[in-house]
Amino acid sequence: MANLKNLYTDIDLTFNRLPVTNDIALSYDEQSVIRAVRNLLLTNFYDRPFQPTLGSNIDKLLFEPASGVTASAIKDEIINVINNYEPRASVNSVVVNPSPDTNSFNVTLQLFIGNNTLPTTFNLILQRSR
Amino acid sequence: MSSSNTNVQITDLDFNSIKSNFITYLQNQDTFKDYNFQGSALSVLLDVLAYNTQYNAYYLNMVANEMFLDSALQRSSVVSQAKALGYVPASAVAPTAYINFTGRGITTSSFTIPKFSNFMSEAIGGVNYNFVTIDSTTVPVTSGIATITNLELKQGIPVNFNFTVNSTSNPTYTFEIPDPNIDTSTIQVLVQQSVSNTAYDVYTQTQNYLTLNGTSKVYFLQESINGNYQISFGNGVLGQQLSDGNIVKVSYVATDGSAATGANNFVYMNSSPNLGSYVITPQIAASQGKNKESVDSIKFQAPKSYAAQGRAVTKEDYISLLQQNNLGISFDAVNVWGGEENNPPIYGQVFMSLKPTGGYVLTETQKQRLIQNTIKPYSVLTVEPTIVDPDYTYLQITCNVLYDPKKTTLNAGSIQNVVANAINNFALSTLNTFNSTFKSSDLVNIIQNSNQSIITNEISVKVQKKFYPKLGSANSYKLYYGVPLQQGTFLSGIYNTPSFSYNDPTGTISDVYIQEIPSSTSGIQSISVINPGYGYQTPPTVTINGDGSGATATAVLNGNGSIKEIVVVTPGSGYTTAFVTITNASNDTTGALGAGIVNLIGQFGTLELYYNNPNIASTKVILNNNIGSIDYTNGVVYLNAFNPVNVNNPLGELTITGTPTTSIISSSYNRIVTVDQFDPTAIIVNVTAKTS
Repeated sequence: MANLKNLYTDIDLTFNRLPVTNDIALSYDEQSVIRAVRNLLLTNFYDRPFQPTLGSNIDKLLFEPASGVTASAIKDEIINVINNYEPRASVNSVVVNPSPDTNSFNVTLQLFIGNNTLPTTFNLILQRSR
Repeated sequence: MSSSNTNVQITDLDFNSIKSNFITYLQNQDTFKDYNFQGSALSVLLDVLAYNTQYNAYYLNMVANEMFLDSALQRSSVVSQAKALGYVPASAVAPTAYINFTGRGITTSSFTIPKFSNFMSEAIGGVNYNFVTIDSTTVPVTSGIATITNLELKQGIPVNFNFTVNSTSNPTYTFEIPDPNIDTSTIQVLVQQSVSNTAYDVYTQTQNYLTLNGTSKVYFLQESINGNYQISFGNGVLGQQLSDGNIVKVSYVATDGSAATGANNFVYMNSSPNLGSYVITPQIAASQGKNKESVDSIKFQAPKSYAAQGRAVTKEDYISLLQQNNLGISFDAVNVWGGEENNPPIYGQVFMSLKPTGGYVLTETQKQRLIQNTIKPYSVLTVEPTIVDPDYTYLQITCNVLYDPKKTTLNAGSIQNVVANAINNFALSTLNTFNSTFKSSDLVNIIQNSNQSIITNEISVKVQKKFYPKLGSANSYKLYYGVPLQQGTFLSGIYNTPSFSYNDPTGTISDVYIQEIPSSTSGIQSISVINPGYGYQTPPTVTINGDGSGATATAVLNGNGSIKEIVVVTPGSGYTTAFVTITNASNDTTGALGAGIVNLIGQFGTLELYYNNPNIASTKVILNNNIGSIDYTNGVVYLNAFNPVNVNNPLGELTITGTPTTSIISSSYNRIVTVDQFDPTAIIVNVTAKTS
């Protein structure tokens, strides 16, 4: 997976300490892009100062019935936000499965990152927290 | 923001600029590379940092703004800056009215109207206002009748506050009066020894610290941070210090500012057991009311007050002291000049002319108080300050407007109102003060722009003097128009409104008028073209008729058949009136409508009194062939031994109207050019709709 050779470097929002250097932890390349996508999915409209259109509407959709219709809307939101705000990734496939028992959605996201020829896959569980 | 700059730029006030400065800074390092991707964690942090920076920068900018008099917006900041310049912002000023009060059926030997007696005014804007006396007035009673003349009434409600001195909770001896409507000129401060000892001292306001010592019974007045006034007391070195248990009693009038301006009829609201009945005769309607000083005004006045340094030396010093007077007299306009500028010069005097707010002239008492209390303590010893009344020249404006009804939804009446309002606003904003200039070109532009449907407009201006002739005694009057006047012809000339009654040997003649007879020794000076006409093929013949003889003139055509000018060939002699007849040349059948008026030579004219002959229509009977004179060049009308019996006007006001020769009318010294807001004939608007 790690074949981009530190093309992308980002700070890690967990702010962990590296035990050897005592420096702050960084995230690189695919890891960095996946974190960025995750940030975008968790950002609502009007969250960021002076950029009201940045982010997605997923937060609101999580309060809709956990059905196929909502899942489809969430899928559209995910594709839109990545296309609009994450130029490093292109969506290969998004699968959103509603899980009515837990009021959550299981998301499986396949992205092409940078010039990688193989897609990167990762899973998310979207669940409302309040 | 160059990329080579390794210092981060954070001085912008715009969020996006600050963020891009951060990004520029990050471009110079290798550790983080994701600053340009909006989803990245670095971008999240940059947003937070940029927002915080912008917030602080904005806050700092606002704080810095409030630190300077020029840029401060908050009243408390401006007042604080003004305080450093020794300036106390002016409070609201209660309008003052004067009445004569006659009490009848009084059984005691003297009659008193106590301080803060209440009078109720007529309704102004639907509200009856309370007026009070500021001082107690006592007069002797003769045959059960007591007469108080020129009783001063101020609009407002009397208010009292008591404060108990406690040096522990209030170590600075500062007491705030929680009333935004206070008129500080009416404040009275008494300090009572204690609850049990009711002896008291009267404390006075001071702004002069040079004469104070530790026992001076004074208080200091200042506006507090929340916009109320506060009074403070001395520290035992500058002014008497208070002691614990003292009771500070503050009384004043809380006023509605200028709202009650114009109130002139009052009802006495207090009951006096000794008073049978009373009659109130209005003397001067309520005027000079003013609202609390605005922030803009404080910004304007405070530096000037500082520049005057409590001394009346320069013109600006006088203006600043007069504007700041603490006598409760407010002005719309003040002008000051040295007597050496007068004609003839009067050395050693300074002249001040003051237009009181909402009124026209000050009373003699107010003038004396201003000179004694406001100017004399600060002026140079050998200079005698003198207040002269403003001399008003009124403009009568007639405006003809052509408008296109297709370009507006307004009807002719509304267009008329729009134009009249535009003229009124022009008069209020541009004129109505000293040293102003009326330019008819400005007014034409303003009328033109008052509505988009107006195609064109023309104005004609007459100048008026209004005065109150003394009835039943012969007096001389000098009316200074301040602008050269046109000589009287059949179309223009001075006239009076309304008519007046005058005695002649046979009795009193009503409806007498003034007319002018220009003196002429040598004849016609020029002929003005008032209508160029059209269709003239050859120059028409110009004939001059009148009571003189020998004047001849010729017309000159322009290229398209209209009269360009009329040239006087021979001025003739002996003319007092003359008019022009234009007749077509014998072979000219198409020329029409050309007309001109004659301007006679001579700087002076004579004024006559006449009345219309009741027996023969359209003829005049001359009552007096020399009641005065008119100086055209200097624009002055003199009436000598003018003795009318009555003026046909309830106020006894006589208006004399003339026509200026120029369309630029300036005022200087004590003269004010204005449009009378109360005269319905001052602005006449004629509206014509374009038909095709």
